[in-house]
Amino acid sequence: MKVSFQALSRHVDLSGVTTDRLAEVLPMLGLEVESVHTFGLAPLPLVVVGEIVSFEKHPSADRLSVCRVDVGDGNPRQIVCGAKNFKAGDRVPVALPGTVMPSGTEIKVSKLRDVDSAGMLCSSEELGLGKGEDGLLILTPQQPVLGTPLNKLFGAPDTVLEISVTPNRGDCLGLRGVARDVAAALNLPLKPLTVKTAAGLAAAPTAHDAFGFVRSSSEFCPYYTLRTLKNVKVGPSPDWLRRDLEAAGLRPINNVVDITNWVLLELGQPLHAFDAAKVSGGIEARPAREGEELVLLDGKKVKLETGICVIADAQRPLVVAGVMGGNESGVTNTTTTILLEAAWFKPGEIRRVARRLGVSTDSSHRFARDVDPAGVELASRLATDLLIELAGAEVVGPAVVVGQPPRADANIALPAGYVAAKLGTAIADADVTQSFQRLGFTVSPTSTGFSVLVPSFRSDVTRPIDLVEEFIRIYGTDKVPAGRPIAPLPGDEDTRSSGFTREVAIRLAGAGFTECCHYTLRDAAEVARTLGEAATPQLALENPLTADQSHVRASLVPGLTAALALNVSVHADPRGLFEVGVVFRPQADGTVREFLAVAFAAPAESLVRSWKSREAFDVLRAKRLLSDVATLAGVTAARLSFGVATGGLWQTDHASSLVDRGRSADGACGVLDLRWTRSLGLKGSIVAGEFLLPRSTFADALRIPRFEAFSSFPPATRDVAVIVPTTTAAGEVLNRVQQAAAKAAGKEFALESVNCFDVFSGPGLPEGTRSVAFEIRWRHAARTLTDEEANRAMATVIAALEKGAGWTIRS
Amino acid sequence: MQQPLAQLVATAQQEALAVTSRAELEAFKARVVGPNGSLTAVMKGMATLSKEERPVVGKLINEAKRSVEELLAALLLKVEDAEIAAALGTPWDATLTGPDAPAGSLHPLTRTRERILASFRKLGFTVAEGPEIETEWHCFDALNTPADHPARDMQDTLYMPKAFRSADAPRKGEEALVLRTHTSSVQVRTMLSRRPPFRIVAPGRCFRRDAVDATHSANFHQVEGLWIDRNVTLADLRGVLDFFVKETFGPDAEIRLRPSFFPFTEPSFEMDLRSPNLGRLSNRWLEIMGCGLVDPKVLELCGLDSNEFSGLAFGLGLERIAMLVHGIDDIRHFYNNDLRFLRQFA
Repeated sequence: MKVSFQALSRHVDLSGVTTDRLAEVLPMLGLEVESVHTFGLAPLPLVVVGEIVSFEKHPSADRLSVCRVDVGDGNPRQIVCGAKNFKAGDRVPVALPGTVMPSGTEIKVSKLRDVDSAGMLCSSEELGLGKGEDGLLILTPQQPVLGTPLNKLFGAPDTVLEISVTPNRGDCLGLRGVARDVAAALNLPLKPLTVKTAAGLAAAPTAHDAFGFVRSSSEFCPYYTLRTLKNVKVGPSPDWLRRDLEAAGLRPINNVVDITNWVLLELGQPLHAFDAAKVSGGIEARPAREGEELVLLDGKKVKLETGICVIADAQRPLVVAGVMGGNESGVTNTTTTILLEAAWFKPGEIRRVARRLGVSTDSSHRFARDVDPAGVELASRLATDLLIELAGAEVVGPAVVVGQPPRADANIALPAGYVAAKLGTAIADADVTQSFQRLGFTVSPTSTGFSVLVPSFRSDVTRPIDLVEEFIRIYGTDKVPAGRPIAPLPGDEDTRSSGFTREVAIRLAGAGFTECCHYTLRDAAEVARTLGEAATPQLALENPLTADQSHVRASLVPGLTAALALNVSVHADPRGLFEVGVVFRPQADGTVREFLAVAFAAPAESLVRSWKSREAFDVLRAKRLLSDVATLAGVTAARLSFGVATGGLWQTDHASSLVDRGRSADGACGVLDLRWTRSLGLKGSIVAGEFLLPRSTFADALRIPRFEAFSSFPPATRDVAVIVPTTTAAGEVLNRVQQAAAKAAGKEFALESVNCFDVFSGPGLPEGTRSVAFEIRWRHAARTLTDEEANRAMATVIAALEKGAGWTIRS
Repeated sequence: MQQPLAQLVATAQQEALAVTSRAELEAFKARVVGPNGSLTAVMKGMATLSKEERPVVGKLINEAKRSVEELLAALLLKVEDAEIAAALGTPWDATLTGPDAPAGSLHPLTRTRERILASFRKLGFTVAEGPEIETEWHCFDALNTPADHPARDMQDTLYMPKAFRSADAPRKGEEALVLRTHTSSVQVRTMLSRRPPFRIVAPGRCFRRDAVDATHSANFHQVEGLWIDRNVTLADLRGVLDFFVKETFGPDAEIRLRPSFFPFTEPSFEMDLRSPNLGRLSNRWLEIMGCGLVDPKVLELCGLDSNEFSGLAFGLGLERIAMLVHGIDDIRHFYNNDLRFLRQFA
């Protein structure tokens, strides 16, 4: 909403108020000032009227002219100029040396291509008057006196403040509403609004001579008024009207349209003028019928959704009510009789229809924000005054009024002390009532506090709490002191997942990884790579903005991989990267679950050259890191089981999947698919890991460790090497050894650990086998184990292992 | 006797110079104090001396013995030093660049988030979280923003298709699922599941259907706060925000509450910040966050009696705060993951 200082002054006396002050006051009322700019000619004392006495082509520049310019001091000066639209004898604005142009450029005596130039001849745009015709601003027709400062030719400049109006303040989409707030803030009176045209009759006829019926059969149009004006002379608007529209950013069209627009800007009430000659039979606000179409003002033909409110004549819809007119029934240069509509439409429906049609007009914007029902008639009368005055219109018959204003002034019972209680500070009742009165509310005391009558232009103020906001807007938020010191509430804790998010990031950063942050929205190809083509549609958005942001992410790994590639390409020497964030995975039951994911990725071989070579980042270190991450989340190593990762992001045979037994956490680690990472420009292999935690992981109460006594006697240790087929997973062998060793200990003593210390294949072993060796440690709680006990246990373990198909014990 | 002993010690000292290894040390030791050593031989000769001579000679022998023992101890140190030097190899040059990766770093958004959460923790706010894909009810309706309300135009929303079902945010009936536009939905979930009093902060990722540019991002992060109790007032809001701003931007920072509008708070404010320590943004009012007292309608929608309870709420953008604190001029830096950016926050 563009608010002109001069226009605002029509409603409130701003003679003692600077624009700077106004720009300070408005934001503290809730009307944010987005920009302030000068409208019209800014004060430019050194820009004067000059006459181009003669001119010739610049000796060394085809496009430039060397002009002799008289500014009335009898001393013609030489000025070089690039424009072409003038002739000798033309009067033009001359910026004399020392002028600071609206753009900030200072005009100096200078040389242009070796020719002296003592000033500048100005175009409309250079003077800050907006884009005019190409070239200089020609003043010749006005015959101004040479040397006259240009400001004398133009009126005083206006200041236009662009304010953003929040959705609750529909009343401030009219100057009157803004003025009302400014008046309240500055404690100035609001100037009265005088309208000559009489109000319509409450029990008005629904028809008269000029045309047939006027009625509403749409629930979305409870209140409709129509005035008829004849002998209208359509033509250009007077300067003041054009100026006001232009200051507000509207283009003048003709006096009738301009008057409806002007009233809209003034009061926030949209009006519509029909050409009566193009309306047949009557006017009805009614639901659109199935299959009806309308060509809108912008030339777009739309199919009307059945049931939306249209303004129609006896034959066809003319207007999408409150949103946009049709291009057949509007006012043209040949119009003589007009029907002037002023109405109230249901805000929610107008908003819905406008969005549906993909348009937002000055009308729909205001109707959607609930125009003042009491302002409907007023706007119509004000427009009628102007049509009579500026377009020679004559009123035909009485105004037709259909229905009732849907809202009236609201009475709010405000308990005594309520405002102070919400503010948390002592406030005098007089301060409260005075603030409301300044806003145009009527306050009367009651036995329990106050009764506040809020006029219908403030549809957003209906409850005591709304009055608190009104009070604070006028009273000032700076007068509310900071409140009491507060202590934490006992027993309150952060959610566990947030603690994990923090700790895991610190852990990984400590391990040399740098944290990244990628967008959640990814393209289909990335999701397909992670989950396969079949599952990809399950993560698609309904209304993506762009094709590369069409899906929610299924993994953090592709982002990290891309970041490695980016940092290689910019020579930023990437090492390890990690990310913590939410990813989405389709579940077996058809739902999609959110997982808190932790992922890391690093080049296996450092990309940074070094005088000393270091251990590569291999799958085993990735596995270790991933297990640490799981432990930090409360998923113990015992719950994790590693399997084979197949396809997708991972390189077959060089990566492992990871399952949290019995829970839905999972993950993977290993080498990323080499073809893929190479295609991104990453030369060596990339080792990565990702662990996915469902929210349920963090739902369990944190387990508090309980102390268990341990033995003070030495353990008995035995080694066993098992020769198994290479196709047998080491994990399986380990499990069997653990089971056998635990069983062998029986109830007498306990298995403490089984540790794999050697894996070997090669000379001495049969083809297709390998030897996996374990150290078994038993311990007794109350004494030292004897050699016999340990040997007996060992014999049991060997016997058990030899039962494995194709398993032998290496001696 | 004195003469031969002095000779013996001098000889030993002379020979010790040649000892460089443990084997040589052992051989040398045997030559002097072994069973057939030179000193041992002298000591054996004591037996042949007269009663009068013995104390005198004994004293001389003890002196010689002590000299030899000191010599042996010194030799042992020397040999051990040589052994250690051999075991350790070339001396270390501390000025040589280490080949290992330096410690990694936290993302500036993580650092900013933790800093903000830490300051609210001091005021007894604890962290709450919720799903990123939310039901329309939790994201809008419960926050007093019904479908036909113009406030829904304030932000463009990304929707999930009708067929989409979330395990974390089951929907009721025909309502749509959206990528949450703010973490206020976490406030709704908290009010529905907990009995006041409580004070929570909800950090998290949010989404708008915005084209990406220097100040807009398809996703961004918020930290939203909610305090519900009996008699929570505007003065409390001011107190909490004043504390937060001074924690984050230093004691010279000041705030102003500028009336505004949000469907879920009444009265509503934009909180502006002014600080002398923000580089080229110093000493002018900057919009930082939205806040206000929780609208009674929201309390009722979330099952709380608005006559009994009141509350305050606020929400700020992490990116905005991080940009101000670190002087970052383009929001896209946070998501580009160029290490030349990220490493600046190590």
